[in-house]
Amino acid sequence: MPPTPCPREGTASVTSERPPGSGSELNRRNLMKLSGLGLAAVPGLAACGRGFGGGGDDESGDGVTLNMVWWGDATRAEKTQAALDIFMEANPDITIEVEYQDSGPYQDKLATRFAANDAPDLMAMRMDSLREYADRGALLDLSGYGDDIDLSGLSENAANLAEVDGAVFGVPAGLNAVGFVIRKDFAEQYGVAVPDGDTWSWDDLAAFAQAVSDASGKEVYGTGFDVQTLQNLVVWVRQQGEDLFTEDGRLGVSAATMEAWFDLVGGMRETGAYPPAGFFEEIGGSADQSYIAQGKLASQIIPTNNFLGYNEACSGNLALLRIPGETQAVRRGQSVDCPHLWSVAATSKHPKEAVRLLDFLTNDPEASLATGTTRGVPASAAVAEEIKDSLEPDDLTATEYLMGLQAEDLPRSYTYPPGGSAIADFLDVIAVEVEFGRQTPADGAAQFIADATAAIEG
Amino acid sequence: MRKDRAGYLFLLPWFIGMLFTIVPFFASLYLAFTDYNLLNAPVWIGFENFADMFRDPVLLKSLQVTFVYTFVSVPLSLAAALGVAMLLNRGIRGLPWYRAVFYLPSLLGASVAVVLLWRYVFGFDGIVNAFLGWFGIEAISWTSDPDYALTTLIILHIWTFGSPMVIFLAGLRQIPVMYYEAAAVDGASKWRRFRSITLPLLSPIIFFNLIQSLIASFQTFTQGFVMNNGGGGPANSTLFYNLYLYQQGFNQFNMGYASAMAWTLLVIIAVFTAITFFTAKYWVNYDS
Repeated sequence: MPPTPCPREGTASVTSERPPGSGSELNRRNLMKLSGLGLAAVPGLAACGRGFGGGGDDESGDGVTLNMVWWGDATRAEKTQAALDIFMEANPDITIEVEYQDSGPYQDKLATRFAANDAPDLMAMRMDSLREYADRGALLDLSGYGDDIDLSGLSENAANLAEVDGAVFGVPAGLNAVGFVIRKDFAEQYGVAVPDGDTWSWDDLAAFAQAVSDASGKEVYGTGFDVQTLQNLVVWVRQQGEDLFTEDGRLGVSAATMEAWFDLVGGMRETGAYPPAGFFEEIGGSADQSYIAQGKLASQIIPTNNFLGYNEACSGNLALLRIPGETQAVRRGQSVDCPHLWSVAATSKHPKEAVRLLDFLTNDPEASLATGTTRGVPASAAVAEEIKDSLEPDDLTATEYLMGLQAEDLPRSYTYPPGGSAIADFLDVIAVEVEFGRQTPADGAAQFIADATAAIEG
Repeated sequence: MRKDRAGYLFLLPWFIGMLFTIVPFFASLYLAFTDYNLLNAPVWIGFENFADMFRDPVLLKSLQVTFVYTFVSVPLSLAAALGVAMLLNRGIRGLPWYRAVFYLPSLLGASVAVVLLWRYVFGFDGIVNAFLGWFGIEAISWTSDPDYALTTLIILHIWTFGSPMVIFLAGLRQIPVMYYEAAAVDGASKWRRFRSITLPLLSPIIFFNLIQSLIASFQTFTQGFVMNNGGGGPANSTLFYNLYLYQQGFNQFNMGYASAMAWTLLVIIAVFTAITFFTAKYWVNYDS
């Protein structure tokens, strides 16, 4: 349920890059886009007109038109276009028609386009949708295109993200992770020390949050991360030595771990370290509108590639920490993820050209210099190293955070099995039931296991 | 013959539009009996989708949400419409202006902007909570508490009583004043006049409005979609039937199931419309 599914936006801007199936962010910009959907169809119609006019440019032999679609905002559009312009200049025979929109409607439109046999050549693919498409033969296996794309430069984490049973159905558009941001100005104002981000425990987080809430008289709540965002849950689950999804595509989390996750937040909510039930109302999803930027929270979890936006919204007062518990847990919980993959449609009329464009976006430093880290740190380690110096300070902070993680020995994570995209919906419902005390954490945990297992096993 | 041709010419846009309806109409009827994931060809599975619906707790939840919404908000919004129409029917000055003002919300009610506005009005720091605060009532999380979210949308629906109101108003003006005068001479109270003159003479219009509102209400989508970013939350408390249908079709790739849901909704609406028609002979008065 943009949906599907969907976490609450307050804390959940975390979910703006979210693989998991949920709604789009609701803000003015997106609404404009929603209302502009009708307009978006117009270029399509125009294209038809050309077709009827007697042979598209494809047949004439002097050029190829690729259709590329992705989700994001105007800033990302500008940066992406800059990269594409470089490619088109070097490949005058290739024209790229771009369409972009918000993540919620994007997902629906992509499915419809496949159904209508009008799949785009190159598309942004959500991690949780990858196998929904790939298992049904809709995506091109890139491993057969070794001449057109070089995947050897991908960092190990990036390569793992892209691979399904030996086939490669997508290349990470960039790499990111989740990180904990803390308002340094609040910490100072309320006389609470910012914990050491590399070694802090969940108890340290609770103590920090409690101190802020108490000192501010709950004007500012100490912390407010999202219980129902899968990326947050995943770290916790991995720290307990389990996997949300196992290698053979099953649900790997235990009821006890889920219950502990609900209890972790429930406990902080009871003492006031975490806001009361109903506090997050999902109005606004951008960094500017986030609760931390509004000064109602002192800390939350965000995707690292959004750090620049959040830090600007908080006037540069944010510190970027790791998720708590990394040094105390059974094993490391953090993992390297990607905001989305780039995939090529199996039915693309120009697979070679589409793959070459993908190669350019992945391996050419020029492309990454143009796009920056709007989709995360470049998947190729060499490219990432090369563009580092040109990044803005906040992007550099996020990039170094991620490269730090990459350099460490993190347990491998496995991608969503088919049906996995429904899990975000179940968690969203159950988390609210538990939040409002309509379900005990134990019952909520049991129900989650039952629902999620049923969804995956079909 | 020539005359007929002009008629058909005027009907042409309808025929063309009909093509765009009729094809998907029958396509979805076929898809309802298939397993269709949008990416691969549909596979015939007979009545399996329909059987699955009975085992789907989320579907039952969405039915419950839709029924509660319909059976609470339709009577209340019709009552509000009739009430305001009667107020406006007293020959006040500037009637067209008032009529337009009261009609406005129903033009906007299903729009994204107003549902959003509604969320701010009912937000934790919104004016509703501020108002309740004056009476010492603690702030309620209207939009994020699963116990209240649907109530918020029901109130929105009641507020958008404009179109039935305009129709009621037209109907009220058709009632000859002499009936009221005669009744007044006979000493009938206001309530008595309302019950014995207004209601019976207005019953065909009430009937029409009831059917219209029922059908529209069963098909509610936008409010639930916007309320929770397409999710039907919190905790599925605003997951309207049509919203769940949309999720199944476009998010979960179960287009066959979604088609089966669509046809089931058609049957549900048909049944309730039939019931309303059946009861009509007991309360709808056509003798004038």
